[in-house]
Amino acid sequence: MRNNFRLAAAGLVVALCMPFAFSDETNGDQTTCGQYGTTVQFEKTPSDAAKRALKEEKLVCVLHVSGDFENPDFT
Amino acid sequence: MNALANAEVGKYLEKHFVCSFQRVATFRIVGKQKQGGNVATYFCAQDGRVLHVIPGPVDANTFLREAKWVVAAAEKGIETSKGDGAKFKTHMRKAHADKLRTAYGLAVEAITFDPPDPADNTGPLTYRDPTGRPLAPVLPPPPIDGPDVKFRHLQDAMAKTAGAFPVHDRKGGRWALDNQGRAHALLAAHSMSQIDRIYGSIFEGILGERITTRPVEVVNPFPWHGRKNAAVTN
Repeated sequence: MRNNFRLAAAGLVVALCMPFAFSDETNGDQTTCGQYGTTVQFEKTPSDAAKRALKEEKLVCVLHVSGDFENPDFT
Repeated sequence: MNALANAEVGKYLEKHFVCSFQRVATFRIVGKQKQGGNVATYFCAQDGRVLHVIPGPVDANTFLREAKWVVAAAEKGIETSKGDGAKFKTHMRKAHADKLRTAYGLAVEAITFDPPDPADNTGPLTYRDPTGRPLAPVLPPPPIDGPDVKFRHLQDAMAKTAGAFPVHDRKGGRWALDNQGRAHALLAAHSMSQIDRIYGSIFEGILGERITTRPVEVVNPFPWHGRKNAAVTN
């Protein structure tokens, strides 16, 4: 798995010559955001997640949440 | 539902993904009132290109199934493309088309060529939105060829499923897909597009919620979790 994602880093990022493309501002620090009662650790921004994913040879998972999100069953 | 509170989901995401979130303002008019509230999960490459999407809330099993599918598809794509980005994109789109065929019984031709995007045009005649970047457009899914003969029974079963949405093939035939199936259809043409180009197609095109702002960061997307824990400790 780790070797495969090392290839992903080389293949997808270098070959495509794409910069980080998430639309938010990066703040430079590496602090994690927290779990918010879920079992998932969330990074502060998608850009932070992308940076960490590149370093750890993982993919990125981004949640878009909207509206009146009072129902915990949604997530 | 409540997939993100599931320990197995957390473990799998921790192993293969780095997670984050953004808020998207949407609303839906029901009667005379604005209503809203939904979620979309995007599985992306490190450069923000979308490999797969889960539109709407799902249970832990569905979440895990889709997460495992995208990891397996990405691993196979990396292996076969050997560092060629175009080949990887083709692989992912074909994987979505194949999933639509084998899990939903509908055949689509994966679209592997992207025409030049007018938004990328920097010529003197290009219109520039003075407010900045426009909201993401609703991208068209590829045309459905019709039911796959070998998997016709899946489409028959889908037609009886609650929440199935009617879709039409090239010849006007009427078929059914749930939100996940519609995401596979969309991604057979638009997988490996940037997340900020595709979110409009998910929220407006699939979930039926009108977008009012671009995705923004939020301090705490799940405030109710803290409230529940605090109530227990008190």
